[in-house]
Amino acid sequence: MPMYQVKPVSGDMEVDLPTCMYKLPSFHDLGALRDIVINANPAQPPLTLLVLHSLLCQRYRVLSTVHVHSSVTDVPPQLLSCLGPRHADSYARHMFQLGFTLIWKDVPKVQMKFSVQNMCPIEGEANVARFLFKLLAPYPSDPAAATLVDSWLDTAFFQLAEGSAKERAAVLRALNSALGRNPWLSGPEFSLADVACYCCVLQTGSAASTPANVQRWIKSCDNLGHFGPAKRLLQ
Amino acid sequence: MLCVSSCFRATEEEQQAQSKKALKKQQKEAEKAAKKAEKQAKLVSVSFPDRELVRVQDLTPEKADQLIWLRARVHTSRAKGKQCFLVLRQQQFNVQALVAVGDRASKQMVKFAANITKESIIDVEASVRKVEQKIESCSQQDVELHVERIFVISQAEPRLPLQLEDAVRPDGEGEEEGRATVNQDTKLDNRVIDLRTTTSQAIFRLQSGVCQLFRDTLTQKGFVEIQTPKIISAASEGGANVFTVSYFKTSAYLAQSPQLYKQMCICADFDKVFCVGPVFRAEDSNTHRHLTEFVGLDIEMAFNYHYHEVIDSITDTMVQIFKGLRDNFQTEIQTVNKQFPSEPFKFLEPTLRLEYTEGVAMLREAGVEMGDEDDLSTPNEKLLGRLVKEKYDTDFYVLDKYPLAVRPFYTMPDPNNAKYSNSYDMFMRGEEILSGAQRIHDAQLLTERATHHQIDLEKIKSYIDSFRFGAPPHGGGGIGLERVCMLYLGLHNVRQTSMFPRDPKRLTP
Repeated sequence: MPMYQVKPVSGDMEVDLPTCMYKLPSFHDLGALRDIVINANPAQPPLTLLVLHSLLCQRYRVLSTVHVHSSVTDVPPQLLSCLGPRHADSYARHMFQLGFTLIWKDVPKVQMKFSVQNMCPIEGEANVARFLFKLLAPYPSDPAAATLVDSWLDTAFFQLAEGSAKERAAVLRALNSALGRNPWLSGPEFSLADVACYCCVLQTGSAASTPANVQRWIKSCDNLGHFGPAKRLLQ
Repeated sequence: MLCVSSCFRATEEEQQAQSKKALKKQQKEAEKAAKKAEKQAKLVSVSFPDRELVRVQDLTPEKADQLIWLRARVHTSRAKGKQCFLVLRQQQFNVQALVAVGDRASKQMVKFAANITKESIIDVEASVRKVEQKIESCSQQDVELHVERIFVISQAEPRLPLQLEDAVRPDGEGEEEGRATVNQDTKLDNRVIDLRTTTSQAIFRLQSGVCQLFRDTLTQKGFVEIQTPKIISAASEGGANVFTVSYFKTSAYLAQSPQLYKQMCICADFDKVFCVGPVFRAEDSNTHRHLTEFVGLDIEMAFNYHYHEVIDSITDTMVQIFKGLRDNFQTEIQTVNKQFPSEPFKFLEPTLRLEYTEGVAMLREAGVEMGDEDDLSTPNEKLLGRLVKEKYDTDFYVLDKYPLAVRPFYTMPDPNNAKYSNSYDMFMRGEEILSGAQRIHDAQLLTERATHHQIDLEKIKSYIDSFRFGAPPHGGGGIGLERVCMLYLGLHNVRQTSMFPRDPKRLTP
């Protein structure tokens, strides 16, 4: 006879376990505009997101707006025009599939809000970048490749952008060796890893003095033409 | 030399038992002196002493040991043995003052000071002294006054209808500590006293700022200020909510808005106009946000190609007002927050503009069921305000392209979609503050729309006539000064931001 029995707590309750972290809505019904709101601190402009914005504009009809929140004063003019010129049709919001609303605000970390009822805010440039990239192309289906992309993303944002000189040097060496084996960081294809690392390398200010493979890769990235917005902001 | 006998400066006099005759003589003399005092006190402007009155807010350690004159109200007075402590108040500033028996002041003088009624206006000559311990309860914390002479300029009656410290007490605090707070009706009935509180002073100084920023911003944008008539012959917004006045042998109405005249000014080539003036609405609504008379700040302008030029002008004006308040009125905002805590007002520049369909989609996502062309109910407006706040973190936004069916007859329909209109509402903290639109500037179309709304064309003949002789495309909108101040400060009743409010139940003061 067992010492004690634990009685079932919830009986025959069916529990719906979630199978996906969040659903990406369809942008193909032209009803109301679906607006992505990104709050960023003007002291640390999120270059990766600007690059992803221009990629999004090539794929969807995007209505882009930039606002300054009342919590900050004196935002430099290049940050106000960082999403490009106003679209000719911007008087009619419903003609766009996707809204990209960038708000310069006194926030500690980049923050994204989309479907307020169904999603909590996404924080951190890396995570927002992951979300935006998934609107463009799926992550590699091979889990190892997907993990590699994620790993480069974290390396870029934590060690390259925020790390000490020693950490940055180590990352540049790692980049150099990875780019010795493949044209792009996650293999034969351009990926989010390349976007993030390029932006973070550029932000360190020492792009000219990086190792040979990295220099070659920087030129390849430039040739793709997506990085204009990021480069203009750093001038 | 002005000498008021209510000032006791003499050295101590011993009172001794007198014979009847001497007593009578004394009484007579006292009466004579009192009468003289009364006469003298009322005769201000008898002479012009070369005397500077210092402001309470300027009483700082820099003035230590100076002998100064000051005029202020007695906020409190308290005697303790041979001393009397007074708190003297001037608008939002106050300072401690001490009358003590010594070579400059007699026992009678201390007693006299202790008996001066609260709110009386007095002149004091005093020396400024630094204090070692900060006086936490006063605005001037580093100094106190040592009084040498004291004169009553205007005496207040001893029983005040309300106590100022009760009127400023936050509601919750009153309940907790068992101390009184004053209810709104009592405050409004005794408005002259209630307006003296620090909170009221702050609110109306801020309101003055709103008006000034409105004028200055629009003037800089090239707008002309106009004055429009308030006695008019026809109800402009619809017959129901209008006050009638007798006008010689006939009757007239009090204007519900300057709409008609603003538009006539545009047709008269003034291009961009604004006006600040009373608006009268005979709406029998007893709510937190309705008044029967309020101050309207109205804008109307001709535009070149798209009515969004009008929206941009209006929203930019509002943003400049918000910035001006944020940057220059923090003292007033903090003072009001002490009694009425609230979240600071947040906004975006440029202002957020959402389309009506987006608003409906957000509400539907939050579980509200409504048709595409339904108007927004007040609870839905509040909910939408909360949803917008959550997503964009702004307390001010524009909802553009309302359904045509729910707008007035003079609203221009959307040329691209007949179900919608070129009209917009603006919201602060989820409550509507402005309803505006592009106006129909074509007499024929205006007649059609009026007919569709079953309006008697005879009653609006002069309105339609305004557009027969060339009218530019134009639009505009108007805000209520009291409502904007209430919502900016996060207050909950528009009567707090109206100096002498008018509602269906209140006509005085």
